[in-house]
Amino acid sequence: MILEDISTLLQKGKAKEVKVLVQDALDQGYEAKIILNEGLINGMSVIGQKFRKNEVFVPEVLVAARAMNFGLEILRPALVLQGNKCKGKALICTVQGDLHDIGKNLVKMMIEGKGVEVIDLGVDASPEAVEEAIKQHKPNVLCLSALLTTTMMNQKVIINHLENKGLRSSVKIMVGGAPLTEKFAKEIGADAYAPDAATASDIALKLIEG
Amino acid sequence: MFKNIENYKLDIDNSFKENYKLYNNSLNKKVGNISFRVLPPSDVSFYQELNLCNYNFDIDNDIKKYTNDLINLLDKSYSERSEIDDNMIPAVFPILGIGDYSAFVAGNIIFQPETSWGEHVLKNIDDWKNLPPLGTSPWYKKFLNISEELIKKSYKQGIPYMRGFFSPLDLAHALRGEDIYYDFYDEPIKLHELLNFCADATIKFAEDIYALVEKYYKNTKYGMWYTKNQINMSEDIACMISGDTYREFCRPHTQRVINHFGTGYMHCHSRAMYLVKEICDLDNVVHLWLATDPNQTRPIDNIEQLVKDSNSVVVAIDCERFEEIEENYEKMKNGNFSICLPVSSVEEGIEMVNRFNKLVSSK
Repeated sequence: MILEDISTLLQKGKAKEVKVLVQDALDQGYEAKIILNEGLINGMSVIGQKFRKNEVFVPEVLVAARAMNFGLEILRPALVLQGNKCKGKALICTVQGDLHDIGKNLVKMMIEGKGVEVIDLGVDASPEAVEEAIKQHKPNVLCLSALLTTTMMNQKVIINHLENKGLRSSVKIMVGGAPLTEKFAKEIGADAYAPDAATASDIALKLIEG
Repeated sequence: MFKNIENYKLDIDNSFKENYKLYNNSLNKKVGNISFRVLPPSDVSFYQELNLCNYNFDIDNDIKKYTNDLINLLDKSYSERSEIDDNMIPAVFPILGIGDYSAFVAGNIIFQPETSWGEHVLKNIDDWKNLPPLGTSPWYKKFLNISEELIKKSYKQGIPYMRGFFSPLDLAHALRGEDIYYDFYDEPIKLHELLNFCADATIKFAEDIYALVEKYYKNTKYGMWYTKNQINMSEDIACMISGDTYREFCRPHTQRVINHFGTGYMHCHSRAMYLVKEICDLDNVVHLWLATDPNQTRPIDNIEQLVKDSNSVVVAIDCERFEEIEENYEKMKNGNFSICLPVSSVEEGIEMVNRFNKLVSSK
């Protein structure tokens, strides 16, 4: 019951209440992994499905993701203590020349909602910055966002740069953004294309799990 | 420099007459009006040819250079399509990316060759109360200077001045950044206060621009076509929120701006087809440009729904093939539409206009 309540309150964006209930669940002896999967991740999955169907919108996703982070703050020490690991690691950015970040942020939150650690390089990310971050963080997946037709080609620039630096095979690459298509993603050598944030999180997990 | 407006259309009086009829019918809730425009490459190429990073907008001589370059590009574009007898009306308008759409309130503009961004200056939702008075920001004055320079070089040729604005929500988003999405839940009352401020800001800015337009254009035949009793506003950020949220937070403030000027010419995206009804239900909206987003439902494929939701407002949409207009023509007659068809050349544009005229006369 308490896990359902966590999921429901998370979907409503009730961050403080989620935090309290996660602590209550831990106090009642629930395993951290169970609280994460059946409470927090379950709630974010519902939000993701509703977002895909235009039943909830950007503000609702953002406050739900914030509630998830409030819950994770409480849960994280217990997860570590109980030997749980993240499902994987993703590196995300909006490519050079593009300052739009709402799409990137939504994808980040949805992927985090799947129990994946996400390193966020922010907007206007250069190929060199991505290269450095891959060397430092060794992510399983690289997520590249672009909103403008004038910047989407910079996704290809980054992919080419990683090839030249011998890093391409070390990471799966997913691309997204309003003007993109599956065909474009294939043409520039990406491993996957995601049309929306919820799908992106599903694909990221598949790429991580191989 | 511009030539007289008559040089850019085959029959400029008729072009204005047709547009006037379209919007007047929309206002009077009369349906059955379908207007047509083609989009040859020259209609948009000037956006790429004008490199915004080439100018320093602080210096008088530089503003003169910018306005000369812009007018020459617009003249070239309108001259190339002068044999196309569609519904396009030539206009002069500043192109500064979108940074100036919020920098007139506060903050700098970050320029890139083809676009620009304004700074998010409101770290806290209440910070608008600490901004300098409206009309005193550097870009407010710069924008008026640029506009006056453009107008001085255009009014004698009768080229109307055109300017669009952010809706209160779009402006609030540009000033506040993505934090505004949390404000809907965390600070609803303060968000209304911010949106109210943004409505005030838009009204003052538009009034000052319109006063400038009237100063020069009041004795011209069509110079105030895009400004008299109207306001052009985008509702782009509304595409990120629900219809309910739009009604609660945006409608009152957007409506107040429209009411101040008379009629509303709105812009939104096909990402938010569900918002067409909300926007078209605003009082005295006569036009909604519904831009087609990639990877989203196309408006041309949803004519019946658009007729139902648009409440006789003229919905401006695009399509990919002329056959789509033929296939949807009868359905479109139940509402008011302005259809835009991209073409590969001026010659193809002329051919498509002839085809459209034949279609209209055959019905």
